[in-house]
Amino acid sequence: MKPPPFAYHAPTHLDEALALLERYGDDAKVLAGGQSLMPLLNFRLSYPSALIDINRVAELSYLRQENGQVCIGALTRQRTIEFSELARRQLPLLHEATTLVGHLPIRTRGTIGGSLAHADPAAEYPTVALVLDAELVLQGPGGRRSIPAEEFFVSYLTTALAPNEIVTEIRFSPAPRTSGWAFEEVARRHGDFALVGVAGVIDTEGEQCRTARLAAAGAGPTPIRLRAAEDILVREGVTEQGIQRAAAKAAELVEPDSDIHASADFRRHLTEVLTRRAIQRARERGQEQRA
Amino acid sequence: MSSTEIGESVEELTPKFVGARVKRREDQRLLTGQGAYVDDHHPPGLLQAAFLRSPYAHARIARLDTSAALTRPGVVAVLTSKDLVPLVKPVRAASKMREYKETSFPPLAVEKVRYVGEALAVVIAESRYLAEDALEWINVEYDPLPTVANAPTAAQPDAPLLHDEAGSNILLSREFARGDVDAALASAAVRVRDRFRFRRHATVCMENRGCLADYPAGTGELTLRSATQCPGLLRDALADLLDMPEHRIRVVAADVGGGFGAKSSLYPEEIVLCAVARRLKRPVKWISDRQEDLKTSTQAWDEIVDAELGLQADGTIIGLRADVTTDIGAYSIYPWTATLEPIQTISFLSGPYRMPHYRGRNRGVATCKAPMGPYRGVGRPVTTFVLESLMDRAARLLALDPAELRLKNYIRADEFPYKTPAGLVWDQASLTECMQKARDVLDADTTTRWRAQARAAGRWVGIGFATYIELTGVGSAIPVSPGMPIATGTEAAFLRIDPAGTVTATFSVAPQGQGHETALAQVVADALGVAFDSVRVICGDTALAPQGTGTYASRSAVLAGGAAIRAGQTLKEKALKIAGHMMESNPANLDIRDGQVFLRDKPERGLPFRAVAKTAYAGLRRLPKDMEPGLEVTRFYDPFFGTASSATHVAVVEVDTETYAVTIKRYIVVEDCGRIINPLIVEGQVRGGVAQGIGAALYEEVVYDDAGQLLTGSLVDYLVPTASELLPIEVHHIETPSPTTLGGFRGMGEGGTIGAPAAIANAVSDALSHLGIEINEIPITPEKLFRLVRAAEGTP
Ligand SMILES: Cc1cc2nc3c(=O)[nH]c(=O)nc-3n(C[C@H](O)[C@H](O)[C@H](O)COP(=O)(O)OP(=O)(O)OC[C@H]3O[C@@H](n4cnc5c(N)ncnc54)[C@H](O)[C@@H]3O)c2cc1C
Repeated sequence: MKPPPFAYHAPTHLDEALALLERYGDDAKVLAGGQSLMPLLNFRLSYPSALIDINRVAELSYLRQENGQVCIGALTRQRTIEFSELARRQLPLLHEATTLVGHLPIRTRGTIGGSLAHADPAAEYPTVALVLDAELVLQGPGGRRSIPAEEFFVSYLTTALAPNEIVTEIRFSPAPRTSGWAFEEVARRHGDFALVGVAGVIDTEGEQCRTARLAAAGAGPTPIRLRAAEDILVREGVTEQGIQRAAAKAAELVEPDSDIHASADFRRHLTEVLTRRAIQRARERGQEQRA
Repeated sequence: MSSTEIGESVEELTPKFVGARVKRREDQRLLTGQGAYVDDHHPPGLLQAAFLRSPYAHARIARLDTSAALTRPGVVAVLTSKDLVPLVKPVRAASKMREYKETSFPPLAVEKVRYVGEALAVVIAESRYLAEDALEWINVEYDPLPTVANAPTAAQPDAPLLHDEAGSNILLSREFARGDVDAALASAAVRVRDRFRFRRHATVCMENRGCLADYPAGTGELTLRSATQCPGLLRDALADLLDMPEHRIRVVAADVGGGFGAKSSLYPEEIVLCAVARRLKRPVKWISDRQEDLKTSTQAWDEIVDAELGLQADGTIIGLRADVTTDIGAYSIYPWTATLEPIQTISFLSGPYRMPHYRGRNRGVATCKAPMGPYRGVGRPVTTFVLESLMDRAARLLALDPAELRLKNYIRADEFPYKTPAGLVWDQASLTECMQKARDVLDADTTTRWRAQARAAGRWVGIGFATYIELTGVGSAIPVSPGMPIATGTEAAFLRIDPAGTVTATFSVAPQGQGHETALAQVVADALGVAFDSVRVICGDTALAPQGTGTYASRSAVLAGGAAIRAGQTLKEKALKIAGHMMESNPANLDIRDGQVFLRDKPERGLPFRAVAKTAYAGLRRLPKDMEPGLEVTRFYDPFFGTASSATHVAVVEVDTETYAVTIKRYIVVEDCGRIINPLIVEGQVRGGVAQGIGAALYEEVVYDDAGQLLTGSLVDYLVPTASELLPIEVHHIETPSPTTLGGFRGMGEGGTIGAPAAIANAVSDALSHLGIEINEIPITPEKLFRLVRAAEGTP
C-alpha cells in the first residue's frame, strides 16, 4: 500500500496552483486533506503523474459572512467548521452533518472543498450543499464561475469540475430563522459513511409547511434532492399522514445500489424511515427556534 | 507427575502479589509509544521486501518473468519458487489423525495459485516504495481455473480439485460419539434443530504481521524478529526447513501488538525472508500492510452446523447430534494443520451439560480462501453459539426459564472430574455458581419486569444467556491440535538471581499484550518472597529461553506460571540453606518476605535477601559444605491434562424497530479462572475478548464472492467494533483454584470471545421472539434483521 511515483508540487498561491494544473492537463490531482485521495493512491487505484498540494494556499482557508451569505474557503477543515460559532448559528445543518463525518483525526485534515470535489454520494457535505442550495465557486485558467450544487454533482465520484479547475469557495444562504433542520443517518458504526442519510430543512407554522427541502445521501449515484416529497409536505402539511406520504415518496425517488453492507431494498426502507425522522426532528427544532 | 506434587503447592504459596490489582508494568512503555515492534528495528544495510500476490482465486501460472523487475531502480533481488527450491524444504503440516490428507503449502506459489493474495514472487529493494514499484514490472500470465468457492460445493464429488495430491477437497473428517444418539433423539419429548452459520472471521491486530531476518556472515547466526506468538515453534520449524542447527537460529518476538491466534502459525513470509537474508547476507524486512493482512493472515470459523438437541419433558437433556462443515481455506497451516478448528468444534459441542448421548461429525473442506487458522476461542465460539441457541429454543418450547433449564442440566459439582463425549476431562468448574451470580448481578426479576414494560411500549428488547466451559492450560496428555507431531505440553522458567539480589525471570512464552511481564513477576515474587519490583520478566527470545513454544491457547498463566512457581521454590530453598548457614540456624525455621530473610519464631532476627544472594556467588568458603555456588535454575512444567475455565455471559439488547440496529444495553460476565493472579489483567482480557465477541456477533464478516475475490479487503469493509460501539462490560469473578494445576491457575485468555456471540444472539432472538425469529447466523447485521422481519411479517 504505497502510492505509485508522482511529482509533487506545493504552491503557496492559487494562481500558481492553477498554472501547475494547466501544465499537467488532466494528469494531475489536487491534494487537499488527503483523506480520500491518499487511500486511492495507496491502493494504486489512481496513477496521477503529479500532485498539486494546496495545503499551503492560505487564501483558500476561511469562513466568513458576506452579503447575507456564509462563504467558506475550499481548504477550510471540517474540524474548523465543527468549532465555528458562525457555522453553528447560521448553518446548523452543516454543523450537525460535520459531526457525522468520519472521526476526529479525519475531520482535522479533511476539507469541505475536498469532500465536495470527491463527490462520494454517501458523504454528508454534498447532501448538505444540495439541500441548502449552495453555490460552488470554481476557478480555472479562464477565470471564475459559480455553479449551483444541483448541477455540480454528476455521478458517482464525478462532478462538473474541469480538470484544470479548482473549487475555491462554497456559498451558503442561511435558511430562515424560523426553520428547523435535521441530518439523520444510519451507519454500520460510528463514523462510517452512511448506509443512507437524509438531510432536511423545513419551515412550519402549526401543521402548515411553508417550505421544505429534503435530500438523501447514499441512495444513488449522487446525493438526491427529494423534490416530490418536499411538494407533498408543502401541500399536505406536517400532519402524520403528510409526513408518512412524503417519506414513502422519498423511498420511491431514490435509486440505491446493493453492496455488502446493505441491499437496495434495505436502503430504500431506510430512506423512508430517515425521511420521516428528519422531518419530525426538523419540525421540533423549528418549534424550539420560535419559542 | 504425582498428585501430591500438584496438591502441595497451592498451599505453600503465601500470596502477596498474586491476587493483587498490580498495574501492568509494560503499559508505561506500550501506551506511550515506546514499545519496540518489528518495524522499530532498523539495522544498517536493511533491505525491504514486497510480495507479488495473486489477483486470481485459482489459476495456473503460465508465465512468470522477473527480468524486467530486476532492472528497476533500487531492486537487489527478485525471487520465485524456483529460486527457493535449493534454499528451503517445502512446508507440510503433518498430523497422525486418520482421516487427514496432508498437503503442501509452498512459501511462494508453485505451478498454481489457490487464493487471492497468495504470494508468487518477492522483490527485495532498498525501500518498500521501490519494491512495490518493481512489482508492477513482473510479467505474469495466469490461466484461470474454476473457482472452488465454498465448502458445500467444494465437497461435491465432481468439484474442481484444489490440491491434486489429496484427491479430494475434503481434507479431513472425524466423528466423536457416545451412547446411541439416534435412538435417544427418537425417544425425546422435545427436539430442537436448525442449520447454523458462523461466518468467516478475520483477525485484526493493531500491529500487522511483519518480520525482519538477519544473517551476518561472520557469526553464521540467523536472527528472525517476527510479530509472532510462537518464537520457539518458529525456531524449530525454521531449523528443519532451512536445514540449520537450532542453536544457530534465534527468533525474537519482543513487543507484539496483538495476535489472537493469527500470529501462532508459521507463515510463508517468515520462511522467505530467512532464506533471502541467508542468501544476500543482508538484513531484510517485510511489514504487512492492512490489505495484505486481511488477505493473507489466517482467518477463522466459516462453519455450517446442522444440530439437533433432544430433551425430556422436564427439560433434561438426553442427546445432541451435529454435522459440521468447516471451510478451511486453501492450505493446511503449520503446525496446527487444518484440523485444529474443525476437530475442536465437535470436541466442545456438548458444552457444560450432562450429555448422555452424542454424535458430532465434522469435515474440513478446502476452498479458494485464505488459510484457516486458530482464533481466540478456537472451536468454542461456534459451539457455544449453537448449543446455547438450542437451549433457548428448548426453553421456549417447554415454557421454562432459560436460566433454570441450564441450571438443571449443568454438570454438577459432584460429577467432576467429568469425561465429555469427545473424551476430554473437565477437572472442575463452578457452572451453577456462575449462573446464580450472573442472575443476581442482572437482578433478573427487575430486568424481566423492565423487559415486559418496554415490550408493552412497542420496543424490541431481549435478554440472552450463554454458559461455556473450556479446556485451558493444556499439557502433554492432549496435543493442542490432533495428531500434531510437535510437543505443546510444557513450558519453562529460567530464573536467575544476581549477586545484588535482583531477579531475572525469563520465559519461553511470548505475550502480545497480555501482561506477562507483570503477572509472571507477581508469581515469581511470591514464590521467592521478594519484592515485585526486584523481579524482571523477559519473554519472547529463543536465545534467552530456548525451550518452549509460545503464548497461545490460554496456556501461559498455567504453564509459565507453574514453571515460575517451581523455579522460585527451588531457588528459595537454596537461598534459605545459604541463609541458614549464614545465620547458623536451621533453614526449616527460616522464611523470606519482602526481600528479607527471617526466623519464623523470631521475625525481628534476619538478614536481607540481597546479602544471601551475594553470598551465593562468594565462593565455597562462605557456603554450606558441598553446595555449588550460584542462584540459577531452569524448571519445566507440564500440567498434563489441563484445566477447565468457565463463565456465564448475559447480554441485554434492544433492536431498533425501524433501522434494525442492535444496541447492547448491558453486558455481564461472571467467570471462574481459578486462582486469579491479577484481577486487572483478567478483567482486561475478559473485556477485550467480549469486544471481539461483539465484533463477531454484530459486525465482522469476511466476504468472498463466487469468483473467490475478497470483498472485505480494507477496514472500510471489514468492520471491527471501535470504542464507540462498545459499552462498559461488567465483570465478576468466582475464584475456585484448579485442583490440578500448580498455583491453582486456570487459563482465561479466550473466554470473552467464546461467550459473547451466543449471549448476544440469544438476546436478539429473545427481543424478536414475538415475531418467531430465531437467530441462526452471525454476524447479526441490520440487513439480515430487515430480511428476517420482512419474512416474519409476510412482506416480500
Ligand atoms: C476512515 C475515514 C472515514 C471517513 N468517513 C467519512 C464520512 O463519514 N463522511 C464523509 O463525508 N467523509 C468521510 N471521509 C472522507 C473525508 O471526509 C475526506 O476528508 C473528504 O472526502 C475529502 O476531503 P479531503 O480534503 O481529504 O480531500 P482529498 O482527499 O485531498 O481530495 C479528494 C478529491 O478531491 C479533489 N480536491 C480536493 N480539494 C479540491 C479542490 N479545492 N478543488 C478541486 N479538487 C479538489 C482531489 O483532487 C481528490 O480527487 C472519511 C475518510 C476516512 C479516511
